[in-house]
Amino acid sequence: MQLRHGLTRAVFLIGLLCFSGHVRAEEPLPKAEEILDKFVEVTGGKAVYEKVHNEKATGTFEFVGKGVKGTLTSYRAEPNKMYTRVDLENIGAIEDGTDGDTAWTLSALQGPHIKEGEERAVSLRQATLREPILWRKLYKSAETAGIENVDGAPCYKVVLTPNEGKPETQYYDKKSNLMVKMTMTVVSQMGEIPTETVVSEYKEQGGLLSAHKTRHKALGQEFEITIGQIDYNIVMPKDRFDLPNEIKALVKK
Amino acid sequence: MRSVCVFTIALACATLADGQPTLTAEQKRLNLESFEFTWSTIRDQYWDPTFGGVNWSSVHDEFRPRIERAATMPETRHLMSQMLGRLGKSHFAIIPADVYGDLDSHEDAGGSGTTGIDVRVLEGHAIVTSVEEGSPAAAQGVRPGWELLSVDGTELAPRLQKVAELYRNATTRELYLTRSVLAKLTGDEGSVARVQFRDGGGAVVRKEIGRIRPRGSLAKFGYLPPSYVWIAARKIESNIGYIAFNLFLDPARLMPEFGDAVHSCTACAGMIIDLRGNPGGLGLMAMGMAGWFIDKPDQRLGTMYTRQAPVKFVVNPRPPVYSGALAIVVDGTSASTSEVFAGGMKDLGRARIFGTLTAGAALPSAIDRLPNGDALQHAMADYISEGGRTLEGTGVIPDVEVKLTREALLSGHDPVLDAAIEWIHTRK
Repeated sequence: MQLRHGLTRAVFLIGLLCFSGHVRAEEPLPKAEEILDKFVEVTGGKAVYEKVHNEKATGTFEFVGKGVKGTLTSYRAEPNKMYTRVDLENIGAIEDGTDGDTAWTLSALQGPHIKEGEERAVSLRQATLREPILWRKLYKSAETAGIENVDGAPCYKVVLTPNEGKPETQYYDKKSNLMVKMTMTVVSQMGEIPTETVVSEYKEQGGLLSAHKTRHKALGQEFEITIGQIDYNIVMPKDRFDLPNEIKALVKK
Repeated sequence: MRSVCVFTIALACATLADGQPTLTAEQKRLNLESFEFTWSTIRDQYWDPTFGGVNWSSVHDEFRPRIERAATMPETRHLMSQMLGRLGKSHFAIIPADVYGDLDSHEDAGGSGTTGIDVRVLEGHAIVTSVEEGSPAAAQGVRPGWELLSVDGTELAPRLQKVAELYRNATTRELYLTRSVLAKLTGDEGSVARVQFRDGGGAVVRKEIGRIRPRGSLAKFGYLPPSYVWIAARKIESNIGYIAFNLFLDPARLMPEFGDAVHSCTACAGMIIDLRGNPGGLGLMAMGMAGWFIDKPDQRLGTMYTRQAPVKFVVNPRPPVYSGALAIVVDGTSASTSEVFAGGMKDLGRARIFGTLTAGAALPSAIDRLPNGDALQHAMADYISEGGRTLEGTGVIPDVEVKLTREALLSGHDPVLDAAIEWIHTRK
């Protein structure tokens, strides 16, 4: 009994040591900018990013375990234009976009909405093409906050503070330097919602390595986006980023 | 107060417990997994980390051995429903696999055949409130105001008395009473309901009424059982718009049709939205529909409180917005999203509510498939209407209380609708 108890305590202490070993003071943490720049390097390099002027991604969208599925199409163009459409089965379309100035959302369920303030700032930031090489413009600071395990793999935890809005925390796998997780508080008209996004299935397309699966957790629900295809430098329809009529009607008001 | 599902399941369990096949070892294992999933889902997602004073860990320790000992599926379901009942909230239920249906098929929902009769229980009596045009009941000459005495040999009075007693202090009483009658009238399509009525003259009338496919389109949303959804829009006295629909579901079809109905009536003196008999559905649809009546941005119907964060039920104006008089008609069978919509519009001062107290069953819920094939319905949040009132257990109190009466129905009147119309006339 004594031996068993001692063994249990030893295992517990080893566990503690293993855990605390990740944040030992003698292991110097790389600077955030090194991690972020290395991400650019491992995903294709700055020169390849700079050749991208627009992109189109298609895939699927699913509320995990709820049986609600749909398709997703997303366009982005420099400098920060974006249009995303999710068509959910038996629900209808949810569109989200910005022409680089007006950020908006239009839902078959909830109707049209023009984003303002922090909500708009987040949309414009997320719409920015080539954002991995532009982080210095988009964020006023980036700091390495430690090392944490994500799915058992040690990751650098990087906290980025945007020029406008709340900090985001990104986790970069120590070994591959790929981003594997992100947490942030999404600011929307419905409130400030804490979210966690797990990023996986990096694949190379057009010379760039990008995540093809993201699993998002918010409000106790999970949804998953699986990207099937990404095309760069497509012939973009001229009116792709024009505001929908429902949004124009609100702008006029 | 539990949801309708819990009620019907409890009834089913009570009647089916005998003679059920005993569980195999594999079924027992799946039931235990389902129990753990159910318990931990509540532990992790219930909006109140104190569980309203219920010791949720103790509940686990109490029920797990009982689930292990359960010999049949009805017994297992009954125990799991009992466990959920400890929370004392609506929208927590175990939905049996056979009720849940084949989730991956688009087959018609079985047993949903209708006679075309709608009913309410008035002063303890099941009274026909409407007869659908062209339905088997209409063909048989059934009229609003007739009293249903029995269906397929089952006397309704003792059944109603039992339900009324069980829910005597609950706001959901009318909902359960109505459901208990409608459940008897509903059956397989093509089957015949043998119904005994008391007609307007007091004579007992026997009718054999066929059951047909319900009106509307079969809509599927995620793992919810498929449901028939209809929407009806018309004009009353040529200048009052009237919209009714049976569920806040099938948004891809319902939202545009609702919007078209509003837009076709922009010059109308008033608009009436009839939510009687509407048990709710997707909460987001309430916000979307409100947008056709509210032109001021950043208004909200209420706030949903989840474990993670409060979520505002914001209304996005959808120009051109209808700005005329708006009446919403409700009764004790208006539940959930119907209450979110009616309560929020009342609190915002945008609508006048007519009818009787709503069901007070307004919590937003999700449905998750369990390892044993059943499903768990669980509320994920509390909901407070914009006026600061919780709707759960209290319901939406009408501005103008008007009750249906048998006499009015027999004389071809709908006093609730009449009151809404009269109010619109006085606003001209």
